[in-house]
Amino acid sequence: MAEQQYIVVSDSETIGEEKSSSAFPEIAIGIDIGTSQCSIAVWNGSQVELLKNTRNQKLMLSYVSFKEDTPSGGVSNQPSHELEMFSGAAIFNMKRLIGRVDTDPVVQASKRLPFLVQTLDIGVRPFIAALVNNAWRSTTPEEVLAIFLVELRAMAEVQLKRPIRNVVLTIPVSFSRFQLTRIERACAMAGLHVLRLMPEPTAVALLYAQQQQQTVHENMGSGSEKNALIFNMGAGYCDVALSATAGGVSQIKALAGAAIGGEDILQNMMQHLLPKSESLFLSHGINEIKLMGLLRVATQDAIHGLSSQNSVQVDVDLGNGKKLCNIITREEFEEVNHKVFEKCENLIKQCLQDSKVDIEDLTDVILVGGCSYIPKIRNIVKDICRAEELYKEMNPLEAAVCGAALEGAVASGISDPFGSLDLLTIQATPLGIGIRADRNNFVPIIPRNMTMPARKELSFTTTHDNQTGALILVYEGEGKTVEENHLLGYFKIVGIPPAPKGVPEINVCMDIDAANVLRVFAGVTMPGTELPVAPFMEVRMPTVDDGHGWCAEALHRAYGSTLDLVTVHKKV
Amino acid sequence: MSLSMAPAYPFSVTKASHIHGCFNPNTSFLSLILRWRQRCPVIRCCTTRAGSVRTDKNYYELLGVSVDSDAREIKEAYRKLQKKYHPDIAGQKGHEYTLLLNEAYKILMREDLRKEYDVSIGQLRMRSGRNNNVMGFSSWKGPFRPEAVFVDENACIGCRECVHHASNTFVMDEALGCARVKVQFGDNDQNIQVSVDSCPVNCIHWVDKEELAVLEFLIQPKLKEGYGVFGQGWERPSNVFAAAKSFNKQLKRQTRNFGSNVQATVEEETPAQAEARVTATMKINMEKFSTIWNLAKKFLWFRNVE
Repeated sequence: MAEQQYIVVSDSETIGEEKSSSAFPEIAIGIDIGTSQCSIAVWNGSQVELLKNTRNQKLMLSYVSFKEDTPSGGVSNQPSHELEMFSGAAIFNMKRLIGRVDTDPVVQASKRLPFLVQTLDIGVRPFIAALVNNAWRSTTPEEVLAIFLVELRAMAEVQLKRPIRNVVLTIPVSFSRFQLTRIERACAMAGLHVLRLMPEPTAVALLYAQQQQQTVHENMGSGSEKNALIFNMGAGYCDVALSATAGGVSQIKALAGAAIGGEDILQNMMQHLLPKSESLFLSHGINEIKLMGLLRVATQDAIHGLSSQNSVQVDVDLGNGKKLCNIITREEFEEVNHKVFEKCENLIKQCLQDSKVDIEDLTDVILVGGCSYIPKIRNIVKDICRAEELYKEMNPLEAAVCGAALEGAVASGISDPFGSLDLLTIQATPLGIGIRADRNNFVPIIPRNMTMPARKELSFTTTHDNQTGALILVYEGEGKTVEENHLLGYFKIVGIPPAPKGVPEINVCMDIDAANVLRVFAGVTMPGTELPVAPFMEVRMPTVDDGHGWCAEALHRAYGSTLDLVTVHKKV
Repeated sequence: MSLSMAPAYPFSVTKASHIHGCFNPNTSFLSLILRWRQRCPVIRCCTTRAGSVRTDKNYYELLGVSVDSDAREIKEAYRKLQKKYHPDIAGQKGHEYTLLLNEAYKILMREDLRKEYDVSIGQLRMRSGRNNNVMGFSSWKGPFRPEAVFVDENACIGCRECVHHASNTFVMDEALGCARVKVQFGDNDQNIQVSVDSCPVNCIHWVDKEELAVLEFLIQPKLKEGYGVFGQGWERPSNVFAAAKSFNKQLKRQTRNFGSNVQATVEEETPAQAEARVTATMKINMEKFSTIWNLAKKFLWFRNVE
């Protein structure tokens, strides 16, 4: 496993050389793997083109069915009936499961899905399995994603008549770096090289930048700065971004995101329709799965119906002569999901606050993703942004993939004679990165929403007299204590000269490049000397592989507080 | 903050500035690595060579904006440079440079940080004559207009009338004892007109926007070449408008002759040339930076093995 990852790692390190060496650069394709739907697009020389599968679909269901000997995904295959997808043989929602441990609430909620998600609740990967010939066949989210990506790749290669290697993938804002390595791993398994992982709303921002530049070209008006709030909510994740756009450059001012989406709304509704359903489905019997599938389809239809009607009727045959017959109104729907909507509201407010952009200065409000059709969501966004109208020039389901394809072309070094690719996204860090210091506190070194590429350093010192080593534990997140954040990796600094506590200076520097690669540097200096006492360390993160919650505990057991650090408060 | 810009020029920072503990935790540069790099003799020899080439570029020069430029100008310049050097466009080699740009942008866009920074470079700005060029040019408030105000500093008697009537547009250059336009249309049109009318020597002129840059460039005192102790000093054309005309003519001739006669003597640098030079210097510095970085890396590893 470790070697495999290394291949991915070294691949992405050679981006720079690749670009200069090839005279005819390959145009990277853009892929948007949604929790429920997936699409693929490419710059065809003059514009972005969405690729269609043999069924003439631009949007393909993201799932892999393990029914026959060879698994088949939603690209080539089409479930004969929606229910087939919920028969237990198909794995979907891999985007919600990838890179998460079994104590994660999102994984816990996924136990209600019609395939097997087994958790032991100790902070390891969940066991995921599909029902094949009446047996649970185990798999992993990475494997499922890789199978799906292989199909996508094959489809694109046939249509573009060239081998595909470089891709730009869109990802949710709230993904941790550990999750990103899982995505990269899945791509590597499918023979794809990730050129960029782009937070979904920033891909939308790039598309917006292109559209704005085109209108400027047409009107010959002034390319004044336009602030746009982008709200993207799909089945799995909700993301908000604020971008300042001028002259084809979209500068991301702030990002916010959480793992809430249509799936949560769907599960809340299922729970509402059949309150006893949870205990029933956890047994994962064949009949229960079938029943769950029925309920899922009916609920989904109901939610879609409520986007245009004020009330819908739900009829589900529960078997044994029992029938579920219910009328749901839009008010009921909004009441049941009020927590989801509240969370959306908070994300938008947080993003606005972080960006330091006044609501009056917003030029456009862009709403994309599957959930953008829900009237309540539209109202929330409009109310907070005090917008009369929402931006209309984008297809809510295709915007992200179009942006990814544009980024693919830009990052591949393609230029367009008409200036359509005269674009740039200046990304910001979606999550803070720091180390454990001052006992159990998380001390951020690179803060959230810092412009990328980013580099910053902080000084720390020892907590004990004659402390010769220090443990650097790198975390990512927003929590005050380390437990609330994701562990990315750890390493030890040794050879600190014996000195009273507080004397040696331990400098920790973090560097994130445009491809989002994080490097952590650490070194020791003693006061009065300029020479470093030992070679400094350079570590690429994340280094942890699995069960990352455990590593920190094990380290604590082994070393206690003997290798702790405290921040140095400098007089500025 | 006083050293915040020092690590940006690894090949020229004097050793004295790297006393232990004086790097600021707020600076985002890898000063510790830079510090080590400095200890290497190999680097040292590069240092001296590169040092002679390098210019004292501060954040303003890095972004190519004037010291009194507003947020809009800084943003515009930042975006323009990002489009050239961002790693998405320039590849991995643009990484270090973009980091500098981001730092400069962050500091200059925040009022408090910018003030602090201005104080820290204040002395440097006063001393270096080259920077006065940047200071001599006026900036624009609001959209560009076809006409601009221009003070003929030769005629100006330093009465301060214009500064009194339109203090956001005109400033007094205390060193030279004459008024100058700081911000075009910094006040409302009426106040500016009052200023123009109130000038006792009629030295405030309405000029075409296109002419403005040349006029402002020419009116700045230039160092005169001297012979021994004779003839040195500062000079500027006595009739700036006539000088501008001949300057433009010369410029035209130069562009015509550029292909055939490369050795055409260039008396003075045009703003456009200055810009080109700045960009070229940046490029050179950037390349140097990456080579040194690689060298340093290699050397450090090598030394560690030893």
